[in-house]
Amino acid sequence: MPGWQIALIMMIAYLVIALIVGIMAGRGRDGSSLDEFAVADGKLSLFVMWFLMGGSVFSAFSFLGAPGWAYSKGAPALYIIAYTAFAILPWYIIGPKIRKIGKRFRFFTISAFLKGRYKSPLLAIIVGLIALFASVQYLATQMSGMAIIFDIMTEGRIPFWLGALISYGIVVVYVATGGLRAAAWSDVFQGLLMIIVSWAVGLAIVYQLHGGTTEMFANIARETPEFLQIGKEGSNMGKVAYTTTILVSCIGFLMWPHLFSKSYASNPKTIKKTVLAYPVFALFLVPLLLVGFASIGVVDSGQLTNVDQVLPFLITTVMNLPGWLYGLVGAGALAASMSTADAITHSASLEFTDGVIKNIWKNLSDKTTLFIMRAGVFVIGALAYYITVFGGQGLVALLLGAYGSIVQFAPGVYSALYWRRATAPGVVTGLAVGTYVNYYYQLVAESTPFGIHAGIMGLMANIVFMVTVSLITKPQAKHDVEKYVDAA
Amino acid sequence: MSKRTFNTLYIVIGIIPFLMLIFPGFELGNRATPIIMGLPFSFFWVLLWIVITFIALITLYRLDPEKDEEEDV
Repeated sequence: MPGWQIALIMMIAYLVIALIVGIMAGRGRDGSSLDEFAVADGKLSLFVMWFLMGGSVFSAFSFLGAPGWAYSKGAPALYIIAYTAFAILPWYIIGPKIRKIGKRFRFFTISAFLKGRYKSPLLAIIVGLIALFASVQYLATQMSGMAIIFDIMTEGRIPFWLGALISYGIVVVYVATGGLRAAAWSDVFQGLLMIIVSWAVGLAIVYQLHGGTTEMFANIARETPEFLQIGKEGSNMGKVAYTTTILVSCIGFLMWPHLFSKSYASNPKTIKKTVLAYPVFALFLVPLLLVGFASIGVVDSGQLTNVDQVLPFLITTVMNLPGWLYGLVGAGALAASMSTADAITHSASLEFTDGVIKNIWKNLSDKTTLFIMRAGVFVIGALAYYITVFGGQGLVALLLGAYGSIVQFAPGVYSALYWRRATAPGVVTGLAVGTYVNYYYQLVAESTPFGIHAGIMGLMANIVFMVTVSLITKPQAKHDVEKYVDAA
Repeated sequence: MSKRTFNTLYIVIGIIPFLMLIFPGFELGNRATPIIMGLPFSFFWVLLWIVITFIALITLYRLDPEKDEEEDV
């Protein structure tokens, strides 16, 4: 049997298992409960929570983009490991506090959280819309990841539109059925798979091609040492750009609605332990970077249409590995994409319902809200699918682009928790200006001053406007402030 | 230890290693050689600080005055 057939069978087997796990997870739970659908009743355990948070960050970007970065840029790829390990740390302090506030007022989303403090429906609508757009963009990267995998592993036999449709279709089905709990249990299965695959395959490739990492890196270090450094003559990224990229990723991480809202899904003790166990996930990324470095001098970059294809290309075309290995890598990469896509699809639907729909049509019953959230999963799925199939871009650029606008929530969120004097006009102005500045530097301007990341430019403008406008507007009612800032 | 002291300590312990991974702190580790444990020095440096942070925070967790708090709402 040719390699691609074995790969195709294994990937389909994986998809079937993923569907079964997802659907089974939601069984025996109250299917008509809004709390169950949105935050799994706030009762996820450490084991599941760790995979849910980890699976969400271990995405198509990690599986395809990380080797691509290591291969094409070298040392700058280290930013991925650095931010994965550190971005979660603030959750130890703010997670339990958000949880307490959320539990008291029955929140499921970041838009409801901000509205609760600032009493501004406008703010909730803006946040809901930004969350929706950023999520659709993020989903598009996951879906093109899934489609690329199908395409390359079957040597072009599964067209792009079909690969994306099958794998993401499964995600939509189990998320709409089982809500957060389905996403969480799928992530356990998918997380285990991708960890095993990345270590086994990653190390096998390095040893087969170079006989070990020492030999491999010694060669690179002798010929092009600047490739393993940052900000040197001939390096691929400057110091300011590297530093601000890490900063923006770290600050933005917990502002992602699908991660922020997990504060509501577990008790404080579980949140803290998840944070402590999390850096292990950063270490799982190491072999994927090694694969990228191993491809240097082996894969001719002229043969790739996009550097993100370096890992699958290496396996199928350059090394001619056995078919079951294709299948394993294919399944691992699908798992990485799907475990991110499920959490994002789920939260995008929640944010849009909570932020936009509920502020336009007030007083919706729980039953209607749940129906809208379920239906939203399909609508968002269709939207993301449309964008993926009719407008493809590079994975990394797309992810960093979406990150830029999400990070603009940070000043409002931290002020909600700690700054008594923050006001709704201040936060709204800051958010609007920050988002505008970010878009300007990301999409309009040719470059940013000193190479500072566009998101950080936006953040600086955001903070200045938020603080100034807050101070010149009327302070909030003491009562509303204390419910947040003094939540023990 | 009060909650406030603990939080301050947590923030300080989290930020110091982080500063080692961004510039100017990363200047110390920004070298291709020597190759340690099969990794270029810059790569090794990043992993080293992640492991240090991991160990430090697990130790710190034992001092958290609220670590056994299940739910109080």
